[in-house]
Amino acid sequence: MAIFFRELARNRKSFIIWTVILIASNLGMMAMYPVVAEQAGSYNELMKKLPKEMLEGLGMDRLNFSQILDFFAYIFLYIILFGGVYAMMLGSSIISKEESDKTIEFLLAKPVTRNAIVTAKSLCVLFYLILFNGLFIAADYIVFEAIKRDAFDMNKFLLLHFGFFMLQLTFASVGLLISVFIVKAKSVYPVTFGVVLGAFFLNIVSAVSDKLENLKYLTPFKYVNPSDLVASGKIETVYMVIMVLVIIISVVLTYVLYNRKNIAV
Amino acid sequence: MNAIEIRNLSKYYGKSRGIEDISLDIAEGEIFGFIGPNGAGKSTTIRTLLAFIFPNGGSAKIFGMDCIKDSAKIKMNIGYLPSEVNYYDDMKVKDLLFYSAKFYKKDCSKRIYELSSILELDLNKRIDSLSYGNRKKTAIVQALLHEPKLLILDEPTGGLDPLMQNRFFEILREENRKGTTIFFSSHILSEVQRMCDRVAIIKEGRILKVETIDRLAGDKFKKVKIDFANGGRINLPGMVNVETKGKSMEFLFGGKMDELIKSLSELQVENLWIEEPSLEEIFMHYYETGRKD
Repeated sequence: MAIFFRELARNRKSFIIWTVILIASNLGMMAMYPVVAEQAGSYNELMKKLPKEMLEGLGMDRLNFSQILDFFAYIFLYIILFGGVYAMMLGSSIISKEESDKTIEFLLAKPVTRNAIVTAKSLCVLFYLILFNGLFIAADYIVFEAIKRDAFDMNKFLLLHFGFFMLQLTFASVGLLISVFIVKAKSVYPVTFGVVLGAFFLNIVSAVSDKLENLKYLTPFKYVNPSDLVASGKIETVYMVIMVLVIIISVVLTYVLYNRKNIAV
Repeated sequence: MNAIEIRNLSKYYGKSRGIEDISLDIAEGEIFGFIGPNGAGKSTTIRTLLAFIFPNGGSAKIFGMDCIKDSAKIKMNIGYLPSEVNYYDDMKVKDLLFYSAKFYKKDCSKRIYELSSILELDLNKRIDSLSYGNRKKTAIVQALLHEPKLLILDEPTGGLDPLMQNRFFEILREENRKGTTIFFSSHILSEVQRMCDRVAIIKEGRILKVETIDRLAGDKFKKVKIDFANGGRINLPGMVNVETKGKSMEFLFGGKMDELIKSLSELQVENLWIEEPSLEEIFMHYYETGRKD
């Protein structure tokens, strides 16, 4: 438990910064909804003039901006991009930071197993991601209620946020696993940004090009693509299975490999 | 019972050697020195004992338990003082020490205040503002606060001024009187000589010799210096580290004293010194020849 609370304290500042900035950006963009909805007709016309590929790539081709959920789906894609970066940074630094700061020598000399270390740190990641999403849902709900023009589908609203949570869990678990191999802070961050931005890019490419369509199976941004979720009202089973498997496999491998790792600082 | 039992322990880093075939027994209540130059394998041995790294061969037991399998349990009773101290920069000394104490499931606050006042350690300073010496002091308190039964010290005195070294050694003696076993790794002979009952000499990953300090220093070798009147020389079994300069000869002598006297009696001796060698001199001998005897 000592490690869990220690990690909560250590990651508190970055949690607050990320949460505040992302919620604020989300709300700030939502604040434009009343204006956009007012002129939805002309926006939709404008959209039709943009290249079709571009709209498909960004998942904007099916959106009707007079609907609050459609508008939300449009901006939410960018929120989940940065939310993904945060989740993966949290996951990839929580174990590796002990090694890059060489404090692991202190921790390993204590009467704790390596399993307990991984468990405490993973639980801290889980705790912060749950809290992050809880706050996000609450903030979004309040603003939706404040600015909505018509009733919105609560199930889809929750589905979008659940998708975000799953995407974050996926990136965080992959981050955990990667950080068993890559411990230097100056390598961890570029890899993290690379993976998340790469996944975001794959989502666009797979939507634009028919030849590269199958790349969609490689990117969580497709699995929980906000405009897809608004259109279909569900996360495809195959995507859900992939995310759950990736999470389980990453976490299990993290335990196995961390237990075998020679840690010399 | 032995506090530490190491059997044929080997560790390689890829192809390069860490330690090879190390075996050691350290009795409970002993202050055991572990001496060798940088890179000889001292830290590798300690890191294996603490299960930071895993051996390629052999095994080690601490208090009769396997040092890899039962690592977490064993560490309840181990205090470890690392050679390089790296702690959480965002903490104060106090935070670090109480964080450390939380792992041992007992109230260590009295011991924390006691030790920091002996070592004159300011508990309210931030870790990142500490000098090298103060970091070391923090590490010392951290290693001792839960009153461990085994202390593993890796180059413990670096950064401490002589006054603090004395106080630190006093604390160690006190702990030892209470029954604590101390594994004292160092490349500084004088401090090992001052503290330890027995010592293992390690070179290039292998144990050269395990000996009591007394025997290592006293019994075996005498330092002999002779001034000959007319350039005489002697050559006897047991003469090592021979240096000749002008008409004088200097060497460590581990052979039969009687033979030395008899052969000297046939020569013109102007002056003769037979002294206890310093541990350094004996140590250099082991190092230069790499002799196993």
